[in-house]
Amino acid sequence: MHSKKDNKKKLLWLQGVTCNGNTHSFLNLPYLPLLLSKIELLYFPTMEALYTFEEISECKLSCDILVFEGAFDPELKRNDILIQTMLEHYSKNAEYVIAVGSCASFGGIFKASAPQRNSGLLFNESERTGPMLEVDQKIINLSGCPIHPEWLGYTLNMIINHQKILLDEMHRPRELYSNLAHHGCTRNEYFEWKVDAKGFGLKEGCLFYEQGCRGPMTHASCNKILWNEVSSKTRSGTPCFGCTEPDFPKQNFFNTKTNMSIPEDVPLGVPKRNYLTMAGIAKTFHIKRLEGKLIDYKTTP
Amino acid sequence: MARISKEKRKTGLIDVALKLFSKKGFYVTTIPDIAEEAGMSVGNFYNYFKSKDILAKELVLYISEYLGNQILLINEKDISTEEKIHEIVVMYFEMATKKPEMIEYFLRVYLSNREVFGEGCEGMVCVSPFVTEMMMFFNDGVAKGDLHDQDFFSAFGLFMGYLGGMAFLFGEKILPHPLEWYQESISQNIYNALKKRQ
Amino acid sequence: MITKQLLEHIEGEASVYFDIKDDKVDFATITFPHFRGMESILKGKNALDALVITPRVCGICGHAHLMAAVRAIEDAYKNAGFEIKLTQKAQKIREFTLIMEMIQNHFKWLYMVIIPELVKLISIKLEKTPLKGAYAASLSAKAIAVFGGQWPHSSYMIPGGVTSDPTFIEIMQARSQLEELIKFFEKETLGISLDKFLTLESCKDFNGFSSDLTNLEKGLIETGMHTKGFAKDQFIVLGEHGFTNSSKLKGTRTFGINSKYVSDTDAYSPQEITYAKNALYKNEYYEAGPLGRMLSQSVPLIKNMHRRYKDSAYSRVMARVFEIGYLLEYSKILLDNFDIDEDSVVTVTDIKQISATGIGVVEAPRGPLLHKIELKNGMISQYHITTPTQFNIGSSTPQTPTPVQQAMQGLAKKDALFIFRTFDVCSVCTTH
Repeated sequence: MHSKKDNKKKLLWLQGVTCNGNTHSFLNLPYLPLLLSKIELLYFPTMEALYTFEEISECKLSCDILVFEGAFDPELKRNDILIQTMLEHYSKNAEYVIAVGSCASFGGIFKASAPQRNSGLLFNESERTGPMLEVDQKIINLSGCPIHPEWLGYTLNMIINHQKILLDEMHRPRELYSNLAHHGCTRNEYFEWKVDAKGFGLKEGCLFYEQGCRGPMTHASCNKILWNEVSSKTRSGTPCFGCTEPDFPKQNFFNTKTNMSIPEDVPLGVPKRNYLTMAGIAKTFHIKRLEGKLIDYKTTP
Repeated sequence: MARISKEKRKTGLIDVALKLFSKKGFYVTTIPDIAEEAGMSVGNFYNYFKSKDILAKELVLYISEYLGNQILLINEKDISTEEKIHEIVVMYFEMATKKPEMIEYFLRVYLSNREVFGEGCEGMVCVSPFVTEMMMFFNDGVAKGDLHDQDFFSAFGLFMGYLGGMAFLFGEKILPHPLEWYQESISQNIYNALKKRQ
Repeated sequence: MITKQLLEHIEGEASVYFDIKDDKVDFATITFPHFRGMESILKGKNALDALVITPRVCGICGHAHLMAAVRAIEDAYKNAGFEIKLTQKAQKIREFTLIMEMIQNHFKWLYMVIIPELVKLISIKLEKTPLKGAYAASLSAKAIAVFGGQWPHSSYMIPGGVTSDPTFIEIMQARSQLEELIKFFEKETLGISLDKFLTLESCKDFNGFSSDLTNLEKGLIETGMHTKGFAKDQFIVLGEHGFTNSSKLKGTRTFGINSKYVSDTDAYSPQEITYAKNALYKNEYYEAGPLGRMLSQSVPLIKNMHRRYKDSAYSRVMARVFEIGYLLEYSKILLDNFDIDEDSVVTVTDIKQISATGIGVVEAPRGPLLHKIELKNGMISQYHITTPTQFNIGSSTPQTPTPVQQAMQGLAKKDALFIFRTFDVCSVCTTH
């Protein structure tokens, strides 16, 4: 007789080259206790779980869900054991390998630590040349720097409930990454009428034209499923840096790359010629309401 | 069959209107003048254009589309930015020589009678096909590393202002040589002014 | 004999090499084995890119890195002759979110690290409730996100101010998160009201009630932590903020301080390559963090603790818990005195005009965090980071022990391991 506890999926969280940001982001999940009650946590980086790292690194246990955070470095050892060895061991019997964060998905920030060596688990930036090609069918990429807690919450719940997770070509769940960061942005009206933000620190204006926002080119549901349940980068006036995409991190984050004032990158799937035609025309309509401040505490009587 | 002929007649009307407007001016030219020159009744004219103002706007769009299509063909060629500049200059001067009414209309009617083109033709609306293609040209030139990255209008003004100015001088019969004679030096000047600085 | 001990659950990991004689730690060296090369990643990039990259040094205190980076850039502006004067509003918002990050850190450390580790050593009842820490931390993170868009890894501070433009609604949202957090702290941690807690003046006052806090206190006494874990009894507080006094302390006496005297040196790690450097002030080792900060503010309870138990593990732990309350109270004041009419950001000269060096210093959860930047035409030519753990958890020779080395000396290994964690170690920051 198996007790109910024995049926719980066993989850193991390993780390490559990382800042722990995904771990800490996950801890913000509003229904964390409920979720954790449905799984058996073998190891977790910031709190005690069933086993110590020394026990885990012996590679004698097995897990159902292997979560990996951080860039993959073939030379990285933890407790004197190559992380590669642990990955090979635990992925063998795991049903799923979840790469949490952009480092584990594509290399991310910490690919730059050792650019020739480091990569994601399945992808090296956008090339499918990572070390875990053999188990590619098991891999779910949750890119983002860091992951949104609800993205991992969704993925784990789907697995626990034996539901099929549809993935895109970068192995990211479609339900989370078919949106663009642009969707749900509170500045959308400014984008429609091509009204740029006059600077930072303003509610008004779109950050795509000058301030480097990559919302219209970035697969992410940040403005649909809000961060920490309350906000997002663009809502707080910070441009989207495109952190869920394989080419993150780019450079000059706070500046839109333009060629003779023409944005180098235009909204995903829109031919540049069409975009320029539409943008040029939209700009000619001066929408009074969008030109001033939405609320002016100083001058409104 | 009937529809094609209607299209053709519309184009014929546009050609006639362009010539009259650019020769006699916008206000002096009347709808009966245009209808007569095109060999149709005034009543029939209104089947094509509801008013003289609407016709005027359509003409701008027509020229802009024509120019835009020409530049599109050049943009899509697999040649250097320097060669593209040369081809645009050649194309423009050829147009100014063979179809002077198009450039004349642009310079003498569109740019000189802004009150006519206010509503529905403001800013980029009527010239968008042409300006968009120039944007694509500049964008590609910078992206390829051939052109100096600067403000769009600074570059656009230099390029088109120069060509428009030459077409104006040509139209005024001030130039001692045909436009074609200037192609090489002007292409060189434009390229030198816009190319990437070391 | 020298034995190696792996330490986990410390924001990454470290190894401690214990030299045990007669069952006591004769000496210990510390190794941080993982290198990431953040400083070299930054070289050649636009200065503003540091605002996106440096928070990614650390998942638990990235916001402190953001603030150190923005201060470093602003200092470079000043040194180039373009001094930036922030509005009060921008300063308060920055300070508020920085404090919220400290609070989330302290809650996690309390419930995920210190209590579970202490439970291993004691007989009295003390429950391990790590998820309490996660819950409280998530409330703090939410309060950050109200202004900063998200936590972790927000980049909402920019030279001249902050990118957000809050309305009264946001301020109310932040305020309600703060109230929730205070309620949680009172009910789950303190067992008394925050006001009452902040007026406690003596360690004896913990006898009057029962809660996680008093059980923690009892556990510390039972394990003798009030007689163990003494380090240097000298502290540094470097970051300039409204909630602390930047100063150097010898015991409770305060002296002036200048961050230009901070230097670092290679760690002593004979057994294994370490990527950490030790940080010093005027070539001496100092302890950094909440105990020094609370002493710099002459908090009566903490002074009382220090009089009784000096810089023992007890004082170090209790000062960090006290700081949660202290900062919660201070945050209320920040939010209550908020002039929404002011600009979020002041106009600054284009970064391309700036060729200068700058230093940004903040108090991070564990102590002073320094970012030094060198700019040529707005591009980063040098970037240097010194983190609090480098002050506390240096690894030096027996002749010049660092605070943690001194604190572990002469103790049983199990006590030493606990004491190691009383410093609240951040491995990822250390090996930036």
